[in-house]
Amino acid sequence: MAYVESLSHSGICVHDLKEAESFYCGVLGAAVHSRVNFKTQDALRGRSVHTSLMLSDYLFAIMLSEDWMNIPPLDQLRGENRIRHAFCVPKDKFAQILQSLRNHKVALEGPVTHPETGPFGESIYFRDPTGNFLEVVWRRDESASYNEVLPLGHGGVG
Amino acid sequence: MSKDIAFSHMVVEVSDLDKSEKFYRDVIGLDLLGHNMVADNRPNALLAMNTRQRLLLVEVPKVPPYPASGGSIHHGWLLTIDQFAQARDRLEAAGYASGIDPRQTFRAVGEYNMDIIDPDGNRFQIQAFGEEATDILPSGAGVVSCGNIADHAVGDVVRNGKGRFFLSRNEDGYLAISAWCTHKNGVTVWQKESWHFYCPFHGAKYDCTGTYFGRMGCAPMRLHPVDIDEAGNISVDTNRFFARSKHDPAHVVPAKPGAKFSTAGLELVKAAVPATTSSEG
Repeated sequence: MAYVESLSHSGICVHDLKEAESFYCGVLGAAVHSRVNFKTQDALRGRSVHTSLMLSDYLFAIMLSEDWMNIPPLDQLRGENRIRHAFCVPKDKFAQILQSLRNHKVALEGPVTHPETGPFGESIYFRDPTGNFLEVVWRRDESASYNEVLPLGHGGVG
Repeated sequence: MSKDIAFSHMVVEVSDLDKSEKFYRDVIGLDLLGHNMVADNRPNALLAMNTRQRLLLVEVPKVPPYPASGGSIHHGWLLTIDQFAQARDRLEAAGYASGIDPRQTFRAVGEYNMDIIDPDGNRFQIQAFGEEATDILPSGAGVVSCGNIADHAVGDVVRNGKGRFFLSRNEDGYLAISAWCTHKNGVTVWQKESWHFYCPFHGAKYDCTGTYFGRMGCAPMRLHPVDIDEAGNISVDTNRFFARSKHDPAHVVPAKPGAKFSTAGLELVKAAVPATTSSEG
C-alpha cells in the first residue's frame, strides 16, 4: 500500500483564461467549478485570480501567467514541458473520444500502444491552446479494484 | 466526454530518475510499480497511489525552467488525515520541515496543507481534510443581544464577530445567518458591494438569505434562532444551529415586537463542542 490516495488538482498557467475555459469545457467536457478572486480588490491584495474547472474527478485551477511561458514547438503534440496530465477512458469509448477530439479539430499524436507489461493500453497525445500537454489513455487494468478517489475537499486553490 | 473519463496519471519530467524515484517513493510515499512500462524510449518509472492514479517519471536531459511568475503552478496530493500525519513525519525525517505550509492560519478549519518541492523544482501541495472541516462549530458567545428593530434598515447585514454570525435584515424581517461556510469550515465575509456572502478559502458565495449560488453544491448557510421581545429588542441564540435545504421565508423573523423564530422544516444540528450560555453581544 502506498501512503497517498490520489492527486486532486493542479494549478496551471494559461495565456488566455477564456480560451482555456472554452477548450477544457467545450472540447473535454469540464465544468466551471468556481471563479476565484476575480474582484479587483482581491487582485489588488495579490490573491491568485483563477478559474477552477472540474474535469471529471480532477480540478484544474487555470491562472494567467504574468510573463510569457516557455512553449514547446507548435508541432510538438506529445511531451511534458515538465508535466503532462493523462485521463483514462473505458477501452470501448476510446475510439469515440478520439473521433470527438478530431471533430473539434484538436491536433493529435497517436494512438500509441504501450507494452502489455504495464497498466496502459493505448494513448493519444495533444495539448491545450497554451501548450500544456494532455493525454487520453485506455487502461488494461480498468476492471481492477482500487480505492475510490477521495472527494475533492475544495473548490479553489490556496 | 467528461462523464466517460477519469484522471489516470501525471507524467513528470525529471533530470535524475534515481533521485526522483527515491523522493517520490520514500518521501511522498508512492509505491514503485516498475520501470519502462510505457511506450517511451526515455528511462522511466511508474509509481502508484492507492487509487487507480499513477505517477510516471521520465528522465530528460534538461527539465525546462518555470516562467518567472510560475509560482502558482503546483499540483495537489489528497491524503487521508492519518496519511497526512505520516507524511509530515516522513517529510520532517527527510529534512523537509520547512515545507509545512506557513499559511496554515489562513486555511479553513480542518484543512491541512504542506508544500514540498521535488528535486526538479515542481511544487506539490499535500492536503488533507479532518472531520472538523465539516463540524458544527459554536462560537461560545451564547445568546447575543443585537440591538432594537429600530436600529436596522431593510438591506442591513450586520456582522457579529464574537458570535460568528450575520444579522441580515431583509424586507420580510430578520435572519441570523451562521458565518461558517457549509462547504468546509471557512468563515465567510459579507461583500456589500456584491450583495453576497463570500468564503475566501474556497470561493463559495451565498446571497443575502444565505442561499448558495454556484457549482460547488453547498447547502445554505445555517441559521440561529432570532427572538424579538415586546420592546423590539433582538437576541440571537448562537448555541443552536439549524440546517436547511433551501431558503424559506417562513424562517425570517418579522421585524415587529414579540416575533419568534419558526423551526418548522428545519433540522437542529449538533455542535461539535459544548456551547456556553453567556449573553454578551
